[in-house]
Amino acid sequence: MKKGIVIYAHNNRSIDYALMAIISGGLAKKNLNLPVSLITDDSTVDWLKQSGKYDIACDVFEKILIVEKPKTNNQRFLHDGDAKITIPFVNTNRNSVWDLTPYDKTLLIDSDFLILSDNLNKFWDLDVDLAIGESINDIYNSKRLGYLDKYVSETGVKLYWATTVMFTKNENTKLFFDTVNYVKENYQYFGDVFRYDTRQYRNDIAFSIAKHLLDGFVETNIGRLPPVLSTLDRDILVSVDNNSLKFLINYRLDNNYCAASLSDVDVHIMNKQSIIRQSEKLLEMI
Amino acid sequence: MNFGYLLFVSHHDTIDYLKMAYALALSIKNTQKPGYDKVAIVIDDGSKIADLKSSWVFDHVIEWNKETFWNGRSWMDKLSPFDHTVCLDVDMLFTRDVSHWVDYFIENSQLYVPNKVFNYRGHEVTNRSYRKCFDKNNLPNLYSLWTFFKKDSQLVDDFFTLGRYIIKNPIEFSNVFLSDHKPKILGTDEAFSLAAKILDIQDEISYPLEFPRIVHMKPMLQDWPWPADKWSDHVGFYLNKQGNLKIGNYQQHDLVHYVEKDKITDETISILENIAWKL
Repeated sequence: MKKGIVIYAHNNRSIDYALMAIISGGLAKKNLNLPVSLITDDSTVDWLKQSGKYDIACDVFEKILIVEKPKTNNQRFLHDGDAKITIPFVNTNRNSVWDLTPYDKTLLIDSDFLILSDNLNKFWDLDVDLAIGESINDIYNSKRLGYLDKYVSETGVKLYWATTVMFTKNENTKLFFDTVNYVKENYQYFGDVFRYDTRQYRNDIAFSIAKHLLDGFVETNIGRLPPVLSTLDRDILVSVDNNSLKFLINYRLDNNYCAASLSDVDVHIMNKQSIIRQSEKLLEMI
Repeated sequence: MNFGYLLFVSHHDTIDYLKMAYALALSIKNTQKPGYDKVAIVIDDGSKIADLKSSWVFDHVIEWNKETFWNGRSWMDKLSPFDHTVCLDVDMLFTRDVSHWVDYFIENSQLYVPNKVFNYRGHEVTNRSYRKCFDKNNLPNLYSLWTFFKKDSQLVDDFFTLGRYIIKNPIEFSNVFLSDHKPKILGTDEAFSLAAKILDIQDEISYPLEFPRIVHMKPMLQDWPWPADKWSDHVGFYLNKQGNLKIGNYQQHDLVHYVEKDKITDETISILENIAWKL
């Protein structure tokens, strides 16, 4: 069975997701020693060419699959340390990965998830068809996380983190991704049933609801990938050297910072602008 | 094997405990294997049983009016007609066959009282809002809502005799043993826990086990981000025609202690009766 990694990237006017995908894909390829494919759109590829990164993308990705850029009304409020911007968020087509993946077993990752270890290689042989990141682990401590980082709503079901999703392409996982699509297309209805905020579509929520439905409306320990170690968008990636990432951590979320350093662990960096700022150094790591 | 469930009901002006006991007995008949589905009811007015459409769900009707409510429950060992008994609170429903739990206790225990419960999401309860008396006075964390015991056991006799004595003398026992946090009402949970502590048998009657699994619906146990007065203000109670119970978005597969007495409506009873009649 051919294993591989898939990343989605659809640029918007503020964030170069394609560049992030090159970094994320390059690190995944190097540290998991597996091929990586990119799912993107024409305008994003055009930008890759304009920005001179297309050749690197061709080196990193085994396949670059062009799809129609999904239309979105999703607006997302992002921090960059203490600065803030609102950006359109183009992320509603993840459920298409089952159809598009060129692999029998696929690890789907977000473009802001940097794989710096081979830890996820331990999960390919799990006796489950599909597994999702079971939770988020904050780099500083759990007090920075809110209730809605653990559940889709105050009374609702467990929130899984679709930052990492591993699946085998078969009928069971087709049903799962069809269910994700069904939740997406009926997001308001499921919002009424599961009591989540419907103003912004979130893959994490759609994946969590689909998992809950197909698990028989119970929470189960089956189908979980390790918690996703994360830095928040209020934290800043400030330097990269010798495979080590150094962050300023907004540890009380009041714009006071402490320093933290990571190496040899996988990390989800929510401050996307800070990845872009460090892109040259990060590209040296791949 | 002579095993059965024992329920206590006494008259209350505003709460229909018999209706809840009837729903519980129906749920037992609907889910438990033959031989594990016997139900005895202790009731202060046995004539009311005849008004039920399916009074046959009660295999034994024991008319007894010497005590009411938890005072009555502390007599469970004397009143049970079974060799092995699980005494239950009446505001509970079975959702699946758990007769294998009974096999374990018959084989291994003379007396067992659970020391943990779960919330509607299936998470073990850690909230201590209702257990201050237990924590401050270092009582074992017992939940008397499901109590297994064997007849003709010295351990069982010692335990319930002391339990009855504590319930009969709440002020005296509170003053001496629960002085760090006196309970407003000394109920069976406190009395049984104190009895276990005084007899030093908590490890014998409440050792760690993964079952029985009981979903306890007191609102503060649900791990919500805000305090709640009634759980039904926040999540729904959905019993379908097959008798499958959902609370909120969660299918319930364990024994559900629903706490709110108005959950057993005529419609709920009708659903449970229809299932029982088709068996």
